[in-house]
This record gives sequence, structure tokens and C-alpha cells, in this order.
Amino acid sequence: MTWALVVRSLFRHPVRTALVVAGIAVAAALLLDMVMLSGGMERSFSRMLLSRGFQIRLSPKGTLPFDTEAMIPAITPILDDLRADPDVERVGPVLATSLHVRVGDSLLTLVGYGVDPAGQGLYELEAGADLVPGDSTGLLVSEPAAAAAGWQIGDTIRLQGRLDPQSARAEAERVVTVRGVVRFLYDARGQRSVGADFRVMQRLGRFPDADPASMVMVKVRADDRVDSVAARIARTHRTVEVNSVAALVVQFRSRLVYFQQLSLILATISLVVGVLLVGTILTITVSERIGEFAVLRGIGVRRARVVRLVMAEGAVLTAAGAIGGVILGLATARYLDAILTSFPGLPAAISFFVPERTAIAKAAVAVFVAGVAASGYPAWLAARAPIAETLRADAE
Amino acid sequence: MTVVLGQDLTKVYSLNGRQVAALRGVSLTIAAGEYLAITGPSGSGKSTLLQLLGGLDSPTGGRLELMGRRVEGLSDDELTDLRLRQVGFIFQRFHLMSVLTARENVELPLAEAGVGRRERSERAAELLAYVGLADRADHRATQLSGGEMQRVAIARALANRPALILADEPTGELDAATGAQILELFDRLHQDGVTLVVVTHDEHLAARVPRRVHLLDGRIDRDELATAR
Repeated sequence: MTWALVVRSLFRHPVRTALVVAGIAVAAALLLDMVMLSGGMERSFSRMLLSRGFQIRLSPKGTLPFDTEAMIPAITPILDDLRADPDVERVGPVLATSLHVRVGDSLLTLVGYGVDPAGQGLYELEAGADLVPGDSTGLLVSEPAAAAAGWQIGDTIRLQGRLDPQSARAEAERVVTVRGVVRFLYDARGQRSVGADFRVMQRLGRFPDADPASMVMVKVRADDRVDSVAARIARTHRTVEVNSVAALVVQFRSRLVYFQQLSLILATISLVVGVLLVGTILTITVSERIGEFAVLRGIGVRRARVVRLVMAEGAVLTAAGAIGGVILGLATARYLDAILTSFPGLPAAISFFVPERTAIAKAAVAVFVAGVAASGYPAWLAARAPIAETLRADAE
Repeated sequence: MTVVLGQDLTKVYSLNGRQVAALRGVSLTIAAGEYLAITGPSGSGKSTLLQLLGGLDSPTGGRLELMGRRVEGLSDDELTDLRLRQVGFIFQRFHLMSVLTARENVELPLAEAGVGRRERSERAAELLAYVGLADRADHRATQLSGGEMQRVAIARALANRPALILADEPTGELDAATGAQILELFDRLHQDGVTLVVVTHDEHLAARVPRRVHLLDGRIDRDELATAR
């Protein structure tokens, strides 16, 4: 009976109800987008860093991984030391450098990654075969690189390193064979990258005699030992920057703090707009139907029931708006994410809007609770209407 | 058995800062099964008295008992419960819930009283048949004529088998023929033992009621029993 009265009352003015639901849906969509935005980058960053399970990163002193072109020199003793640590499961050195290949008459520039096949945390194989330890002639290519150069698995390629820009002559060359197509986890959208054995890439890159690495990824056997292992490495190797992923996320978060504050302010504004919308429309509705509520009270309907009736109308409105808002919010988030992640240099794995169940549930619940709370005042008005006076006024 | 016992009832309203006495010491006793018309000119206090009798408003002074229970001092919930179970209201403008069907309107006070779905459906069907609207049960209030709406209002008033039915100008919005049908229904209610108090301007209605209380300036001017109909 209550729900019949509630739903049919809302359909008394279908256009008005539809407009209010649409308004709540827009507010809910904005709220959801802001909730996803406020934590989305941080979550996708953390997910990207942990995607292969390496919890610690070593980078050149004073930098973050891939932050600059700086190198860690003399990496071999550091790697030997790390591999000897009983808490360390795997060690993955990475060297990033510029490479070139001739495609017809043109020179194609590539990002080259040197990796250790026994401990790589840089890519995921999509087709073909992975490198195996000791494979000094194998090459892994990203989809954009393969597409740009027209490579197939099994093709033989002459990689050129340390190119002189004046003479266009390379100081180092290496003939390799394409073994597989991979997705490099830190690549920007469309980035042309290739991967080869770490030592091969050292010989093709700058400063071949310096035994350099851009970064070292470390996988610790037990998650609860990560901080102590990171601290131990930092104490032992003072020439490198040691960060756990958790610490990197904290640093990343500190860079995003204004961004997050802005998101939260906008989320709060959208919530307030939703509250005002529900509160205003229900106050108008109650004022129009005050005689009806007085009659209900007159025939013996308790105040609490009248309060429930009005609040149920608020609940139905906000539930419908919240459902619409989730759909609209996810659609707009996908659209906005496509725009924002197309910024040059941004890793393709980074998302600004991460649609997680908890974020969606939080936004929907926040809108619902706020909407129901907003119907409190009109419900109070309906329940407190003086019966005799209202009926007298209605009869005149 | 006494249904209503009112002694020296007064009601004073504050109107634009001015005190207006709507009732000035009305004493009235209504026994079970009585059929009573309250008449009088506009502003004589008829509707105010009806609202006091139905627990819609509280007297400023005096003593009022409904079914032997003092009304003054009852909490809002107690008064609401009294209206739900002991009093049935019939309004001049019917005041049905326009979004509900005739059956749902009759079921409304039953649902509020906690009557189960099946029982209230049966009771509503029985009452709608009683007022001659069995075939209109599933029509929305807005799809009914004025006379039909008033019949539904009567069925709703009877839903919880109240001790007292109060009707405020029940034929005021109806044409003569339809009003006559409502009056016949009231006669039938009276014959069935329902205690019925009707506020009316309608001399035709008042003339067929066994007891007539005439109010003038907030006081009972005449309280007379008809000798014959």
C-alpha cells in the first residue's frame, strides 16, 4: 500500500519526476567520476607497478624510476649482492636507451629496453616466444613498433645504437631476430619499443663501459619483509635510490594532492546539488499535497507513516537517480579517460578513472543517503501539518 | 452506551493576533446508535465542534470523552489511534487519495490498523458492495463521479468499524439526486446501528435526521428530537 502510494504519487507529475531523476543522475555521475578520479590514478599507478609482483625499485640517486635519463653505474656488483639476499626472490635490471633501425630509406627511432629474462617485470608476452636466459640474439617488440616497421615474428633485424646525429652513422650494431610481440607495461600509448637481453642493450646504449642500468626491480619473497629489505638495500648501496612500491605510491599521492582535493571539492558540490534538488522538489510536492497529508492524518495515519511516505518518495527518486548516475558516470568516465590518457608520454596502463566496485558503491550509497536525508525536512513538514486548520483551509 | 460526552466545550482561535471564540461552552451527549445533525449558520461553530468530536483538534476548555476516554491530554499518537479505530470521517470534498483505486482507498485505514492483506481486501470488497460500488472497486478515485467518490469515502469511514461516523457537509458538493442517494445510504447506516453525526446546511438532510442540534454563535441554540420523519 505504502509503495503503491509512493510510486503513483511520483507518477502524478511524470515529466517533473523524470527531470528530477535526470538531475540527480547528473549529480551522481559527477560524484562518481570525482570519486574515481580522486583515487583512480593512484590505484592504476600502484596496479601498474605491482602488476608483475616486484615490490622494490632501485633508481639513480635522487630520482624516481624513469624520471630522468640518469643511470646507475656499475650495476653488476649490486645485482650480485641482491641475488645473494635470501629474502629476494628475483632481480630484474632494466636499461632504457634509444635505438634505431632502417626501414626502407628511413630511420626508425625506437625505445630499447634491456631486460634479464630470468627476472623481468617490464612486459607481458602477447604473441610468439619469450626471451630465455642467455638469448643474446632475440628481440621482443611492441605492437606499435612491429606495425611501424612491418616486422613479423622470425624476422631478422639490424639494431643500431649510439647514432651520431651529424653523420647518421651508428657506433654499435647488433643483428637480432624477432621472437615475440609484447606489451611493455610502462609504455605510452603508441610507443615503439623493443626489448633485448640486458647485456646486449648495454653494448648498444650509451656509456657501454660504465655497466649502467636505468632501474632495478626487486621481488621480495614475503610481502611483510618488503620494508626491511628495502631499508637493508638502501643502507648497503648508498649510491642508489631505493623505494618500495608503497613508498612510490605515497610520493605519487603527494604529487596528486591538489588534484585529489579538487576532485573531492567537486564531489561534495555535486552531492550538495543532489541534496538541494531532492529537498526542493519534495518540499514543493509536500506543499502542493499538504491537504492530502492532513486527510491521511485525519483518518488515523500516524506521523511516522507520513514521514516514511515522503522519505520513501525521496528514496525512490534518489535510487532511480543513483542508478542512472552510475551508468552515466561510467560512460562519461570512459570518454574522459580516453581524452586524458592520450596525453603524450603517459604510460598507457595509467588510468585517471578507475571504475572499482567500492568507488561505485560509495558514490551510489552517498547519493542515496544524502537524497533520503534531504527528504527529512519535507517529511517533517508533511507530518507536522495542523490537521484541522489544513482541512478548514482546504474546504474554503 | 455513551459514545460522546462533551461538557462546557470551548474553542478559541487566534486570528491575526485576535482571539476568536468558535465554541462557547457546548455540552453534548451522544449515545450509541444515534443519528444527529448539527446545523446552524456559517461561523456558528458546526465544523469546529465536529473536529473536536473527531479528535482532529483539541478543545481550549471543557471536558470531552470519546467512548469513555478523556481526549484532553492524549498524546498525538493516542489521538491518531483514536481516530483510526473509533472515528470515521466523511468530508465535504471526499478527500480520497486520487492515485489509489476505490478498493485501495478503503483498505488504507485497514492497513494502518495492521489488518492483513487478505482480510482487508475482503473487508474492502464487502464495504464497497455495501455502498453499491462493487463494480467500481478497481477504478481510480479520479475515474469516479462525485456521488461515487462520496460512497467510497463512506466505505473508508466504515473500514475499521468505528464507534462514531462524522460527516461534514456530505452532500455539499453533490447535485440533489446524488445527495439524496447519499442520504438514503446514511439512513441505512443508522438502521444498521451506526452512530452518525452530520454537519449540514442542508435543511432537507436535517429534516430527516432524528436529532437536530442547532448552533448559534458557538452555543447550542436548540437540541431537539424529531417527533416524526
